[in-house]
Amino acid sequence: MARRLPLYILLDTSGSMIGEPIEAVNIGLRTLVNSLKQNAYANTSVHLCIITFDSIITEVLPLTSLVNLAIPEIVCPKSGGTFLGAALEFIHQRFNQNFIPPSTDAEGDREPMLLIMTDGKCTDTQAYEEAIHKIQQLPFATIIACAAGPKSVPDQLRQLTNTVIGLDTMDGASFTQFFKWAGDAVTSTESAGSSQKLEKSSLPPPPPELQIVL
Amino acid sequence: MSDLITLTATDGTEITFHTEVKAAGGMKDVYFSPDKTFVVAFYREDCTEEIRQRLEAITGLYRERIFNQAGGDYWKNIFCWPSKIVLYKNKIGVVVPFYSQDFYFKFGSKNGDMLGIKGREKEGKWFTSPSNRNKYLDQREIGTWLCQLRICILIARGVRRLHAAGLAHSDLSYKNILVDPTTGKACLIDLDGLVVPGKFSPDVVGTPDFIAPECVMTAHLKKDDPNRKLPSIATDEHALATLIYLYLLLRHPLRGDQIHDSQDAARDETLAMGAYALFIEHPVNPSNRINLNTIQDAELPWKNTQTLPYSITGPYLSTLFETAFVDGLHQPSLRPTASEWETALLKTADEIIPCSNPNCRQKWYVFDNSTAPACPFCATPYAQKLAVINFYSSYEPGKFTADNHRLAAFTNQSLYRWHSNRDTRPNEMLSQEQKMRLGYIVNHNNALHLVNERYEHLYDVAKKIAIPAGDSIILEEGTTLLFSKQHDGRLGVVQLI
Repeated sequence: MARRLPLYILLDTSGSMIGEPIEAVNIGLRTLVNSLKQNAYANTSVHLCIITFDSIITEVLPLTSLVNLAIPEIVCPKSGGTFLGAALEFIHQRFNQNFIPPSTDAEGDREPMLLIMTDGKCTDTQAYEEAIHKIQQLPFATIIACAAGPKSVPDQLRQLTNTVIGLDTMDGASFTQFFKWAGDAVTSTESAGSSQKLEKSSLPPPPPELQIVL
Repeated sequence: MSDLITLTATDGTEITFHTEVKAAGGMKDVYFSPDKTFVVAFYREDCTEEIRQRLEAITGLYRERIFNQAGGDYWKNIFCWPSKIVLYKNKIGVVVPFYSQDFYFKFGSKNGDMLGIKGREKEGKWFTSPSNRNKYLDQREIGTWLCQLRICILIARGVRRLHAAGLAHSDLSYKNILVDPTTGKACLIDLDGLVVPGKFSPDVVGTPDFIAPECVMTAHLKKDDPNRKLPSIATDEHALATLIYLYLLLRHPLRGDQIHDSQDAARDETLAMGAYALFIEHPVNPSNRINLNTIQDAELPWKNTQTLPYSITGPYLSTLFETAFVDGLHQPSLRPTASEWETALLKTADEIIPCSNPNCRQKWYVFDNSTAPACPFCATPYAQKLAVINFYSSYEPGKFTADNHRLAAFTNQSLYRWHSNRDTRPNEMLSQEQKMRLGYIVNHNNALHLVNERYEHLYDVAKKIAIPAGDSIILEEGTTLLFSKQHDGRLGVVQLI
């Protein structure tokens, strides 16, 4: 059994998200989950916790294994503020409750990740600034902010993380490449000078490129 | 030659066009600019505030977000996107770029263009009907199965981009997508109908054959009835699945021979596409199969689901067809996303092999994972040398996990960065450098060689030798290659077929 990798997903459901931003959030969530499910390694290690925030913070999905996860449909109430500060405060609490610190016997969680999808118009700015400090103290491997909707304001999000991206430019691959798994690098011991020249000169000339995917 | 009229578009630029109607759609009349670089499409109905706002968003904010962000240039070939609005009296029109020349018939139909379609738009419908292809179209217009697959990739990618922006096309069909099977190009048109749920409601219910069952079932209700299901991203997902099935198998996934009302054809249609819609290849319920006795010769092999089942599209697409037409047909939230289709199509493209029969009309097919592959279209056994490279990725030190992704290695196959690095996928975001071929396969002295053109660190793990650029390696059973030392570098294990 692979070590657990908690992924906290924080979704803005405030009034300004109604319309194309919330549609983009739902598609983004499905794309992310589906591409993780197709990855044999993520499938056994990633655990998702989904939290929505408007004027109210709601834990839509407590920390749950990716296996057999049903993706919830995220809807917006008719109106509501953007309490991103309170939401981050909530993440801070959940993190402390959920986190199993690594120990010597290889149990414990991998460093968690935090993914936020919002249009970035936070209304509780003071709470937000306080929460940023607290969140940055936590051992998140990566914090990714996705700016959702054509009128999003990414600037406010840069206070929290350097990784701010347009949600509408994301696909499955661009989501999963944020997952920096432990020990990716392969150390290969190249034996020097044993390269084989396989009658290169007598090989037929290179064929024209065969490429249909772009 | 008709008169010219000049109007000032809402962005302040002057727009000149001929006053003669050159084409008419369901809702709009189309006029051409004198230099044929754009058309102006006027809505016949008077402009409402809602239409105006929607068109402003489409020609303004939505357009800029797609074309002015990373990868933006790529979309100019995929979307024929309205760029400006013109107002004339109380009518509103959109200025749309002229379609690329590839999307007009060069040869048209057989026997000296007996149908007189030369120069007309290549609506997808021409190419999804086996009898059109076999009886009427000039064979130089038809292309290969490889091009059909490429058309599906481009359509799925375009729909994925719209959905990622939270937009639904609302009327995806073979009428609203132009295709060029000879080069494998596709272009989404009629984008002025884009829908945003809760904000911009649809003008149309869609095109028959592509309307999702829940929309057909509730079409009799008023538009503001809470039970009425209107076009949305979920209904686009149904239309997309139907399009891909049609382009790859040239038959409609729901049009079998089951009859629901033999007296009333309209009611029968409503039930067959709505409440009782059933996949013609449903694995358990055979009630809607295509009856072999009703098939005409010109419709073969396509309409024979026994000799050409959906499984010939390979494992990735087969799974999605089941999800779309069995699980998700009546449960919209289960339907595969456009992104899933794109991924599955790309993986399928890596398992395509050339038919050994030079007269095969499809020319390419998906490797069936057997030791004796044969073309499903013409039954010719594969006669050349073939290897398969299975890809693995590392997520823990020293441990490699199968990626469920493989490449058919036949002579002249090309290898790219998206094969060697798992974080690279072929799409609009790639730089020129990332698009460069890294290596290729060539048959020489009855052995398949992988030639390293541009890999920095291609390494044979078993033999512990580096293969520098310019060198090659013979692919043998079990050959294990590390394609890159980067963190997302993949390992490939060779199987000989």
